[in-house]
Amino acid sequence: MSFARRELPTILLTACGVLMLLAFFTPFDAFQTVKGTLTTWTIVISATSTWLGFIYMGYAQYRMLQRNPTLAQKIYFITPFAFFLLFFFVGVSFPGDLSSPQYNWLFQNIYRQVGATIYAIMFFTLASAAYRTFTVASIEAIALLTGGVIYMLRQIPLFPYFAPWLVPLGEWILLVPNVGGGRGAVICAALAALVVGLRTLWGREITLVEV
Amino acid sequence: MIIRTGTYLDLILLIVLVVASWYYMNKAIRGEKLPMLRKIPAIDAIVEGVGRSIEQDRPVHYAMGASGGQLYSTLVSMTLAGIAMLRYIAKLCARYGARLIVHMPYQAESIPLIEATAREGYLEEGKPEMFRLEDLRYYGQGSLTWTQGVTSSFAQEGVGLNLEVGIFYSDCPISLEMAKIMGGMNVGGTGRWIMVYAFAMMCDYVFLGEEIYAAGAIVSDNPLMLSGIVIEEVGKYFVFLLLAIGIVLAAIGLDVGTLLSM
Repeated sequence: MSFARRELPTILLTACGVLMLLAFFTPFDAFQTVKGTLTTWTIVISATSTWLGFIYMGYAQYRMLQRNPTLAQKIYFITPFAFFLLFFFVGVSFPGDLSSPQYNWLFQNIYRQVGATIYAIMFFTLASAAYRTFTVASIEAIALLTGGVIYMLRQIPLFPYFAPWLVPLGEWILLVPNVGGGRGAVICAALAALVVGLRTLWGREITLVEV
Repeated sequence: MIIRTGTYLDLILLIVLVVASWYYMNKAIRGEKLPMLRKIPAIDAIVEGVGRSIEQDRPVHYAMGASGGQLYSTLVSMTLAGIAMLRYIAKLCARYGARLIVHMPYQAESIPLIEATAREGYLEEGKPEMFRLEDLRYYGQGSLTWTQGVTSSFAQEGVGLNLEVGIFYSDCPISLEMAKIMGGMNVGGTGRWIMVYAFAMMCDYVFLGEEIYAAGAIVSDNPLMLSGIVIEEVGKYFVFLLLAIGIVLAAIGLDVGTLLSM
């Protein structure tokens, strides 16, 4: 593999990583400035690469239309591009760009409403999954069901009225086993992330260097 | 002062991990035997899911999350775990002849890495002609558009195995449950503990939290990657040691919080 494809990215990656570590562990302003500049670069790269994503989206849609040239597929093909052009031209055509009343109207009345609909679907999917999860099939499921039922009953005002012990028990489940288990898991995940970071700094992360 | 106040403990942990990394990575390079790793059932389930997809003539779907392409945040390690898993599933799909649809994250800067990894998976199995660029799907900015795109792909093309490994927010409950409703088999996990509940509820086989890193290392079958799991264990022992010291110091009346924030 050539120097440009393997060694150079590793050297750059390690240099940037070491600079970030120095910015974190040392109080010198110079490193903070470098960190700020690198962060700005990432924002620029990210914004520019959106066009790359657009090309991929267009190609995938075009190939799908070629394979399946039905009316429905034509509508699927046209719709995203029509809305893209609509938002793009309204965004750049009116004074104020993305703050213009015209763009805000589109954003509030189309984008946000579609988003709200998708989030609404999430609650149905959660209810459906909860029903399946609470099917008592194993010891783990029984523990999950017991904890879940106690916690849910605690949230309904009627049940704590008849069974006041539900409130401290629900609080205990929330604050002791839940927080304890969660923190343990977060520490383990953070350690694993640190190890991946160190491996990357040393140029030994094969997910990056072998590509 | 050369070291910033409040970062001494972080630095000690970093030094411990650097030393452990140096020791175990060299051991791996020399080809010495590393400790045995327990089996993760979800890894075997991936092979089963690919087979199931072929039997049902449905595609395998792979996703790293709507925002799973982060290459410069604190979550980048999860992106790398997702990339390792992508290489594995691409190889499996190429080996057995299943169609793989990759739902790419909205961070478009990660697209070249994703495409190269998927392509390389097919190449490694000697079937580059099976790789289809149009099966790398991009849905634009935001998790809402991503969720819509993924679920519509499930509906239009069917789903045999739905593998989701990476960075997930509120996008995963919808995609996982929709795959389940449409008869797919769900396997997945995330290192974001707050979303593990969704995977635990909706997946047939789940990678719990840090298991995604271990799974990424195991499927890579690379000694250097596998040594990472052992290095992580050293970090865990260090945390246990801190915990024990903290309990003793707290018992004799010292303010452990102040000591930790030095």
